[in-house]
Amino acid sequence: MAQDGVILEAREIYKDFKRVEVLRGITLQVKRGERHAIIGPNGAGKTTLFNIFTGRYKPSKGKIFFMGKDITGMSPSRIGRLGMARSFQITNIFDGLSVFENVRAAVLSKHGIRFNFWRKVDAMKAISEEVERILADINLLHKRDVPAAELAYGEQRALEIGIVLAMDPVLMMLDEPTAGMSIEETKEMVSLIERVTKGKTLIIIEHDMEVVATLAHTVTVIHYGEVIACGSYDEIQRNELVREAYLGGEG
Amino acid sequence: MRRLPFYIAVVVVALILIFLPHLLSEYRLNMVIRMLIYSLFAVSYNLLLGQGGLLSFGHAAYFGMGAYSNILMLKHWALPLPLSVFLGGVAGALLGLLFGIFVVRMRGVPFALLTLAFNQLIYAVAEKWRTVTGGEDGIAAMRAAVGLPGIGRLDLFPTSNWYLFVLLVVALSLLGCWYFTQTPFGKVNLYMRENEERTKFLGYNTYLSRLLVYCISTFFAGLAGALASGFEEYVGTTFINLDKSTEVLMMTFIGGTGSFFGPVLGASFLIYVNDLLSTLTERWSLIQGVIFIILVMYMPEGLSGIYLQLKRMVLHRAAKWRKTA
Repeated sequence: MAQDGVILEAREIYKDFKRVEVLRGITLQVKRGERHAIIGPNGAGKTTLFNIFTGRYKPSKGKIFFMGKDITGMSPSRIGRLGMARSFQITNIFDGLSVFENVRAAVLSKHGIRFNFWRKVDAMKAISEEVERILADINLLHKRDVPAAELAYGEQRALEIGIVLAMDPVLMMLDEPTAGMSIEETKEMVSLIERVTKGKTLIIIEHDMEVVATLAHTVTVIHYGEVIACGSYDEIQRNELVREAYLGGEG
Repeated sequence: MRRLPFYIAVVVVALILIFLPHLLSEYRLNMVIRMLIYSLFAVSYNLLLGQGGLLSFGHAAYFGMGAYSNILMLKHWALPLPLSVFLGGVAGALLGLLFGIFVVRMRGVPFALLTLAFNQLIYAVAEKWRTVTGGEDGIAAMRAAVGLPGIGRLDLFPTSNWYLFVLLVVALSLLGCWYFTQTPFGKVNLYMRENEERTKFLGYNTYLSRLLVYCISTFFAGLAGALASGFEEYVGTTFINLDKSTEVLMMTFIGGTGSFFGPVLGASFLIYVNDLLSTLTERWSLIQGVIFIILVMYMPEGLSGIYLQLKRMVLHRAAKWRKTA
């Protein structure tokens, strides 16, 4: 592990798709216990960066270190096992399975129970209790046997947070958890995230500046695949470059 | 926690099955043996189709592998039948491992096409490698009696004894398959069906997982094939051709992929109707085709879907009734 408490470090990340450069030398550090927001206009490359961190894409150039370990080009499942868990911009859950089963998938994996075909899963009391604790945390215990597909949109988003939470990851990565939500739902989601991520390290992509102001200690602003500013929310707000590129219309 | 009626039902069914040789004619008993064997084949297939969401057109490869190895081991090494049947399952699983390394990289249409291609490959081997497989003629071997030291002899030649042996093997295998679906790894099979990407991001190695599922499924397919060749005391290319692959697909689909015992129902139903109609008409396969089309179009949950729907209706009614009362 890196001595200065850096959990995730990106060094000069480049990514191009069919010769279109989406990321142009992103360098970024996330410290233990920090809640780090990545913001930027549409198409700035935020989700691409997430996909590179979590192993969905390989960077064209550059290196990623997770807890001091080079994870560049590793598969999503290996990175997941190392302790990085993510949610997706478009809800990504097990539609046909119950709410309980959705979270159990994560809890089993967290405990390294991935190839066990000799014990009955329902007989694993500790696992079931842990799943129910998570469901209580995300206020979905009363829906435990409902198929995930039948949940309301906001509940599905909360369930995905629950799945990420159940992995008990070293680093939580949330890709626009409030996307498509009403003001009321967004408030609930923010208080949920605040409550369940206490003391955890978190990277969040977000559009809603109010959400960023509430949740994040550190903000990185990406514009056309480059980091144009990094600092506290107040610093970012005062930054001239950011005002021009991003807050221009409002400020 | 199951309730008492469930256990009573299990005991009653078990007793009926055990005493079936005294209740049925030899002809009927032979039919029940076929039902048992194909039930196992279809359940093994449904571990892929229903549980794993993988449509295979090549499951006969492993059924046939089990069938051929059973007969070959009986013929050349004179192995005791229970052992050669078990090794038939192992042979199925080994072939499953070999082919699986390639086919489980895919899902959906590429998976279906690859399984088809591998089935054709192994079929060609069975047909052309005459010195070993007997080609079109196939090979025969008797179900010889097995000497059990200290106990006596187990003679599996008489239909009633053979029936009990098949019943035991199939019952244990179905129990094993069912138990598998209740384990964490059995659930991983469902996770991959529902959302492979999510499963990956949760840290599961989906390639290895699917390969292992494939080996488990092909083990039981091989076991069923070994029983089938033991039953016929013969093996030929009809055990391993594409017809056999579509047969198990139809059985599974007609029975219903959504429940564990649906394939048992489908296999038994098709064998029974086949028997009934083939005495009446030679155009049985035409009728079978029509049944299949109707089911695909109007009852995608299969025969067990009817049962599930009735159950839902009754439960719904009961809940309503309880509310008003």
